[in-house]
Amino acid sequence: MEEEQQQPLAERLDLFSCIQCGKCTGGCPVSIKSPLNIRRVVRESSVRDELSGFMSRIELWDCTTCSTCAIRCPRGLRPVDVVIGLREMMIEEGRIDKTIIDALDGAYKYGNPWGRAKNKRAEWAQDLDIPNALEMDPGQVLYFVCCAASYDPRVQEIARSLVKVLRAAAVPFGILGNKETCCGSEIRRMGEAGLFEMLMEENMKNFSKVDPRVIVTTSPHCMNALKNEYEGLTTDVLHYSQFVWELLSAEKLDLKTPVPMKVTYHDPCFLGKQNGVFDEPRWIIGKIPGIEFTEFGRCRENSLCCEGGGGRMWTEGTGAGERLSEVRVKDAVDMGAEAIITACPFCLLTLEDAVKTTGNEEKIRIIDLMELLAMTLEGDAETGDVS
Amino acid sequence: MDIIVCIKRVPETAEADIVLDAGKKGIDTDGMVFSINEWDNYAVEAAIQLKEAQGGKITVVSAGPEENNEVLRRALAMGADDAIRLTDPAFEGSDAIAMARILAAAIKDIPHDLILTGVQADDDGFGGTGVALAEMLGLPYAALVTDIQLDGDTLTVHRELEGGLEEVTAVKMPALLTIQTGINEPRYVSIMGIRKVAKKEIAEKSAGDLSLSGDDIGVKGSLSQIEGLFFPPVGEGAEIIEGTMDEKAETLVKILKERGGIA
Amino acid sequence: MKKIAVLVEHRQGEIREITFEMLGKAHQLAGSDDEVQALFLGDTSQKELVAKVSPHAHTTLAVYDAALKDFEPLRYGSALEAVLSNADCDLLLMGQTAFGMDLAPALAAKMTMPFTSDVVDIEILDGGVKATRQMYSGKVSAAVSLKEAPKRLLTVRAGAFPAEDVPEVSGEVREIAWSVDGDFAVRKFLSYIEAAVGDVDITQADVLVSVGRGIKDADNIPVAQELADALGGVVSCSRPVADKKWLPKERQVGTSGKTVKPRVYIALGISGAFQHQAGMKGAATIIAVNKDPKAPIFSIAHFGIVDDLFKVLPALTEKVRELKG
Repeated sequence: MEEEQQQPLAERLDLFSCIQCGKCTGGCPVSIKSPLNIRRVVRESSVRDELSGFMSRIELWDCTTCSTCAIRCPRGLRPVDVVIGLREMMIEEGRIDKTIIDALDGAYKYGNPWGRAKNKRAEWAQDLDIPNALEMDPGQVLYFVCCAASYDPRVQEIARSLVKVLRAAAVPFGILGNKETCCGSEIRRMGEAGLFEMLMEENMKNFSKVDPRVIVTTSPHCMNALKNEYEGLTTDVLHYSQFVWELLSAEKLDLKTPVPMKVTYHDPCFLGKQNGVFDEPRWIIGKIPGIEFTEFGRCRENSLCCEGGGGRMWTEGTGAGERLSEVRVKDAVDMGAEAIITACPFCLLTLEDAVKTTGNEEKIRIIDLMELLAMTLEGDAETGDVS
Repeated sequence: MDIIVCIKRVPETAEADIVLDAGKKGIDTDGMVFSINEWDNYAVEAAIQLKEAQGGKITVVSAGPEENNEVLRRALAMGADDAIRLTDPAFEGSDAIAMARILAAAIKDIPHDLILTGVQADDDGFGGTGVALAEMLGLPYAALVTDIQLDGDTLTVHRELEGGLEEVTAVKMPALLTIQTGINEPRYVSIMGIRKVAKKEIAEKSAGDLSLSGDDIGVKGSLSQIEGLFFPPVGEGAEIIEGTMDEKAETLVKILKERGGIA
Repeated sequence: MKKIAVLVEHRQGEIREITFEMLGKAHQLAGSDDEVQALFLGDTSQKELVAKVSPHAHTTLAVYDAALKDFEPLRYGSALEAVLSNADCDLLLMGQTAFGMDLAPALAAKMTMPFTSDVVDIEILDGGVKATRQMYSGKVSAAVSLKEAPKRLLTVRAGAFPAEDVPEVSGEVREIAWSVDGDFAVRKFLSYIEAAVGDVDITQADVLVSVGRGIKDADNIPVAQELADALGGVVSCSRPVADKKWLPKERQVGTSGKTVKPRVYIALGISGAFQHQAGMKGAATIIAVNKDPKAPIFSIAHFGIVDDLFKVLPALTEKVRELKG
């Protein structure tokens, strides 16, 4: 049984062609603090006769699925997928952490990993009067909001800001409202492949009904899943940074109010490393009048993961070492940045938490790219009030 | 060891805005998410762990409409062997004791060394069906069980008492235990796992099959009746307690007392 | 004339508080002609306990037998049947406690008594018994009526009625004869064990005193612990507190911690991020103390105090201690 499971994993992921060069571990952001050694995971997964003892290792949950390992692999392998494959086996055995079970149950029952009520999904937009995408003509813009932006009061601000920006650019768009369900990106990375398929099917049904010209997402995680993992989805999928870049390029937005602030930009792994979107967010920031931009030492392909991905919003893993989000915040403070701009709900939450845990509330803020943009449109940049 | 686990399908109401139905004797469950009663989930896991250690067979029983097959299938995916659904319009309106009577009628003909139920159900919070069932089947029992050790035909169990105290009690099988949450860590049931048991047959039993007469079950067979439901007086958002610090503390103590906050 | 009986609950040489709560309610329900009865089951060494309840009942019916030393539902059920045949009561009250939940449903089934559980209010109208109980984790109340019968049974939620000021009536004590009859060896009490120190399961606590970032320092945890001790509760925390290792991870409430459903949840200095809310929204009563009136915790709390927790905590702990004497 176990051999049956092991063989396909090693074969499916072509692990035998691994040369054990260790570039994966060398680039792995958690390797400095976690017992997780991705090179060894690949090695053991290809030579072990059985994986069950191996699978019980908690450090497999330290992986944030940032995919640096896959980018660095000279043989083009995806070591991150070995971790996901091993998690899949744990899921089938049912022996996983309670917090993961809750997240999966929540996604199964309520369509979001926080288990919040389905009929409250669109509550954030109640006063915004956004058209129901299911009632729009085909060929429009579908805004795929995502779970965090629907339910987390802090992340809702990104969604509200994006709505402001789209309206300022006079772009007609709609949302699925309570019919939207979790994209399944994190679910798949926690190893629940069956549930990911279920969620995908549900969203796909709605996508085909709406038949939009483009799907714009709040989260790079949703963008990545829809674009790269939704089988049969032919519609263009863009992260909002890409879409807004188009709008700005076409001069559909007038950025007037200066934002006199020294900022840096944190690359979300799912946007940058995994989808090559490095320039658009920086270009947008550069368009903001009055802003001073400074770059992290580790940026773009070498950017440090915030540890919010791969299910890490729902599990601590071994919880070893300093949080990378804290490293990130401290670095930014040392650089003299007044704000870290980012473009992902998970990055926003983990970094903002790190600002508090490092006691840097007076020194630095975390601002989402859309919030920043909304400031220049709103004209309240002086106070920096984005709420 | 042959184990029977009684499970219930309940609406999840923690997040939901509850609306009463037209007759105000039940809630409007339209659009609500249903799942296995939390306590019962622990009971199923406890049964599986016993089976894994001892061998044997697990039968899950649930009373209710066809939708209850969801929770029965879930239990099958977790590791139960057989599932039985008790279903009859005549069961409608049964109180906890009448429900125990229905379960007893079904269980008495199934071989069993051990019967497990949850301590209580998420919906009515009654906490009595299991113990009443034990009485009807003439079985020794223990309620609020947080640990089970097997020694021959005797179960040494821990019962959860108040204030962190536990009682150690021996119960001779065949017996019934009502299972408290936290006794174990129920395993995850994957979507693939549920798909694998999608075709498995679930036996159905009606009142007639169980030789239950109308006088024993339903509203007629129930000695307690819900006259009506209403919402406890709680305002939107927190009721802010004002006054001097002394008055605030005084008010808070009163609330704590009323709400069972002082043990 | 009606008779309301209360089954005395005792453990480890002490009368449980619920007994007085039920006696108080029984007196409130009883008219001037009516009788409040206390039913006591125990062994002869526990006679002194009877003296604590008998002043609060018109009649105390007691069975003393070595077999009744510790609670054990099969024996207690059998003895209770013997008492009830003498007690002639219309309504019997037991606690919805580990004791009552292990006994009442079986007795109701055995003696065909109309029964409902976990009641928070009781009314007797024209001889009919109506009780209020809660459903859906306290979100809905239900008015339940018990059918006409010689004897009816209710189990009462602990803390639903006050235990103080239970009227004193010069009650007589009557012993009822009962002897072991039947095979009671199938269930046997063995021992009590205290939960190990440092092995607290917050998911099992009825009362949680939960601290958040507002507690400011590990050195302040004992202040919260004092309140928890006074309430008979347990200290839990939000994520930042566990992250900082001020409390062990097992004490953390929230999506990456534990989901709790206590009877009362007191949130001290917890802003109430929804990841935290997800772990505690099922609590029957939520009380929040926070300096920030806009803290999201107030949106799901039932009661709130907008003030510095370091002012509220000592005042509250003091009041609770006063109450408990």
